[in-house]
Amino acid sequence: MLIDCRRNALGYRTAFALRASRIARAIRLVERRSGGGLRAALRAALCTVVLGAALQANAADMTAISAPCQGCHGEQGHSVIANIPSLAGQPEFFIMNQLFLMREGVRRVEPMKALVAGLSDDDLQALAKYFSSVPPKPSDEVIDPELAKRGAALANRARCASCHLPSLAGQEQMPRLAGQRIDYLRHALTDLRDSQRPGADSNMIAAIGAASDADIDALAHYAASVFAATH
Amino acid sequence: MKRIGSHHGTALMAAIGLFTAFNLSAQTAPSAPPGFSAMDLSRPEASNQSLQLAPIPVPPLVTPPEKIPVSRITLPQGFRAEIWSWGHPGARTMVMGDRGTMFMGTRGIGRVYAITGTTGKRQVRTIASGLNQPNGLAFKDGSLYVFAINRVFRYDGIEDKLDNPGQPVDLTAQFNLPTEVHHNWKYVAFGPDGKLYVQIGANCNICEFNPGIHGQIRRYNADGSGMEIVARGVRDTQGFDWHPATGELWFTDNGRDWAGNDGFEDEVNRIPKGMEGANFGFPYCHANGQPDPDLKRPNPCAGVIMPAALNGAHTAGLGLRFYTGAMFPTSYRNVAFIARHGSWNREKKSGYDVVIARPLPDGTARMEPFLGGLMDNTKNEFYGRPAHVFQLQDGSILVSDEQNGAVYRISYDAELHASAR
Repeated sequence: MLIDCRRNALGYRTAFALRASRIARAIRLVERRSGGGLRAALRAALCTVVLGAALQANAADMTAISAPCQGCHGEQGHSVIANIPSLAGQPEFFIMNQLFLMREGVRRVEPMKALVAGLSDDDLQALAKYFSSVPPKPSDEVIDPELAKRGAALANRARCASCHLPSLAGQEQMPRLAGQRIDYLRHALTDLRDSQRPGADSNMIAAIGAASDADIDALAHYAASVFAATH
Repeated sequence: MKRIGSHHGTALMAAIGLFTAFNLSAQTAPSAPPGFSAMDLSRPEASNQSLQLAPIPVPPLVTPPEKIPVSRITLPQGFRAEIWSWGHPGARTMVMGDRGTMFMGTRGIGRVYAITGTTGKRQVRTIASGLNQPNGLAFKDGSLYVFAINRVFRYDGIEDKLDNPGQPVDLTAQFNLPTEVHHNWKYVAFGPDGKLYVQIGANCNICEFNPGIHGQIRRYNADGSGMEIVARGVRDTQGFDWHPATGELWFTDNGRDWAGNDGFEDEVNRIPKGMEGANFGFPYCHANGQPDPDLKRPNPCAGVIMPAALNGAHTAGLGLRFYTGAMFPTSYRNVAFIARHGSWNREKKSGYDVVIARPLPDGTARMEPFLGGLMDNTKNEFYGRPAHVFQLQDGSILVSDEQNGAVYRISYDAELHASAR
């Protein structure tokens, strides 16, 4: 599925569509001539070329800059794919910092690795600026009110709001939770609990330390419900 | 008086209620909230603190020299500050190789730097990256030891191959360190006994951790064998050094959060001779013998070694180094310089400076200010976060600034001192 959405990234109709389609054609050509094992690596490497080219060619056009991201993260960063996070409305520092950590190899997300490899510091900042400026939107997942209620009590106990703010909009290195996909929140919280998120503020790892899977599920539904309540 | 008594009563009842809720939830999980906070038994609502306090982010990108706040630094008469190096984001721990390479550890950014060169702009190389908080560095016999959260690497002959360090020797299995992340970014150092001393922090803000694993300072042989516990009940030490005359180990220890803007003070501790393995109080006993308000037990401070000095609430004293150089006035001989990273869990910010712990004959120490100016008290803003201290051979000291990815050199000029008089 991730390869599929990366293919979408290449085919995305934007200001640099022509350049992208040429490179996409080149990828297909190279793939036909190369062994299957190299296919994903080549595609990823060329994805980076496309992304880098888009960033340089269209520095003024934020929509174009972010186009390669939107294949997976959704139109303007509103994800419609399970376990892929929405980027819209995330704090600027948070996005820049996470892109940095992935480029650095601290936070290891396989599908992102090649995409961020060729990005400059300026690119990271431009992408962060763009996605942080897009108004967030809730996902189409169904919120369970009972779980949300239980999650509210847990969130209060864990004082999520002291860092993520009462609106759960996030700030600085701490992400927006309101409006994030429930399935992704579940995934991220599990990673944090299990110390599988290097580079994260360790206060978060301590805060979620002893949560059960059921607790995490409840927190994810609660965070989604906060967005519904405030928008 | 009555009011105070009733306040305490309410707090106690709330605490009992909390434990009851926790016990019940343990039996009836997962339906009964709240259940997962055994790892943080703090009660922010009882702390009388703003609930909008949050940890401070560390910029991962380079701060250019013109934005490094060296001109704001204030020092006692005769001392001056200059930028020694820059361009290494996340600057924290500093150790020097035999041939003068400065190695630097970081946290979130996951890099280990090597800084070389004596004049002009120093060369900064990233010799390791993608590690999980490689804050603990030590150097011995040509080898650099790198401690990440639970991984240990040894780079032999590193100063010969800074451009291509190659694969290190992996000592992870030999040291067998716990995998928990919180308060386990390592501080390590070789002691006068040739052993490698390693911090193992308490993996929470305030909780009942396993004292057989966490909240310790340990020492090992350099190959990871022969582990011994030299201090217990230590919440989070990020710096230690041995007194040049007595040989005793002194260490910083940072107090818990969410117990008030002024509680509990961070500690400067000393392990008295012959007391290796002693208990320093966490989680039941804080600062100068104050019981924890959330984790109660009878006689919480019985047998606990009291701090040599208190270091202010939330100021976050990290690196600690005794001064043995000849450059500074003799009154600085054998005092401990302590870099205070600065508070996050305090409405009125504090710390963001370098202070001195001056050992006294009775084993305690007197705290004195040294380096300031990186904090604006009127605006409640900070400009830099001192993390560690290192003494150069010429007797000047270096101070790393994590916020700006820079190192300041602090030197003393007797003539400058005289001319200012």
